Amino acid sequence: MESIISASGLVKSYSKFTLGQLSFSIPKGFSTALIGANGAGKTTLIDILCGVIHASEGKINYFGESSDPDSPAVRERVGYCAAAGFFPTNWKPKNIASSFEIAYKNFDREKFARLCGELGVESHLAKKQLPMYKLSDGNRMRTALAAVFARETDVLILDEPGSSLDPLMRDRLCDKFREYLDRGDGEKSVIFSTHNIADMENATDYAVFMGNGKIIETGFVDDLKEKYIIVRGDPEKFPAARELLLSYSSNSTTFEGLAYAENSEKLRLLGAVTEHPTLQTLSVGLLKYAEGKR
Amino acid sequence: MKILQNSDVPIYKQIAAQFKEQIINGEIAEGELLPSIRSLARDLKISVITTMKAYELMTEEGLISAVQGKGYIVNPQDREMIREQHLRILEQHLQNAMDEARLAGVSPDELVEMIKVLYKV
Repeated sequence: MESIISASGLVKSYSKFTLGQLSFSIPKGFSTALIGANGAGKTTLIDILCGVIHASEGKINYFGESSDPDSPAVRERVGYCAAAGFFPTNWKPKNIASSFEIAYKNFDREKFARLCGELGVESHLAKKQLPMYKLSDGNRMRTALAAVFARETDVLILDEPGSSLDPLMRDRLCDKFREYLDRGDGEKSVIFSTHNIADMENATDYAVFMGNGKIIETGFVDDLKEKYIIVRGDPEKFPAARELLLSYSSNSTTFEGLAYAENSEKLRLLGAVTEHPTLQTLSVGLLKYAEGKR
Repeated sequence: MKILQNSDVPIYKQIAAQFKEQIINGEIAEGELLPSIRSLARDLKISVITTMKAYELMTEEGLISAVQGKGYIVNPQDREMIREQHLRILEQHLQNAMDEARLAGVSPDELVEMIKVLYKV
């Protein structure tokens, strides 16, 4: 599988938090979700990948060609969108359009206006435009997404694009991902972070799970769903089942946990029932597992 | 094409089954190009990896082939072989029907009569 971005030995050290070491490879032509709890390091990783901050150690490779996030060629091909406060708060859509036009060769004003329309926010063509600080979080994000989608890029790297959107808009965002991937026909990729994967599951092909600055698990979603099982059983069997569970919760009525699918037979002998997880239940199980290892 | 999100049958199998039906009854002709995996994912509002898996399954079953730089095309179908497969499945179902018939005390003639009646419906 060809990769769009790969990294080896990536480290970013702060006084109270260390990201890494991270080594990973994001497949080309797919949509990849970075999934993790708050404070897992998702934004730090995205900021490093987009050249907003620099890693303390390690190497990144873009498009199998360049290892410099600051090179104009890489900047031109990477569409970055931050989680919040991306634009100066007094900027209006017309300021965004003008600045993107200066910053990027391939920003398309008309497309920006059209995308603003599709996403239900005012564009630079509107008569009366509000500055960013007067917009809700959701509308700020929609404007930022319209701007990044109006560029011609080869990879989108979006930090929590869905979190501030309502369900209808999140559905439209998923449509936009799939249209982008389709237009690229295997050459374009999407990377996005989220702490709530439920609404984005049908737009996720590959997942990178993060916890406490480390990568816990990576893989294609369908492979991961085969690798793990969700287990439920009677409370009296919990002590015996516990050593096979990666993470769990229990009470006087039942227990529930995440386990490797290879242990399903042993768990069924304990009277437990098992099923393959959804991306959502897998996320909860894995993030809880990471939490437990801290 | 119509898929169910919360069915017991995985989505990739639903997709493969519907294409298979269309290929076998000739709705999709031999040599025809299937939609690209990413355009199908876009249309069905599902992940790319799901449509990819559906096409992989159909490739394994010999229904389609990947053509470099073009996509997936429908293979010439050996209808005789496919009919053979269906006959084997039919036999299995008839065996089950006979087992039930014995338990319920239904004679072979009565069973045949039942099938004839059901066939007309």
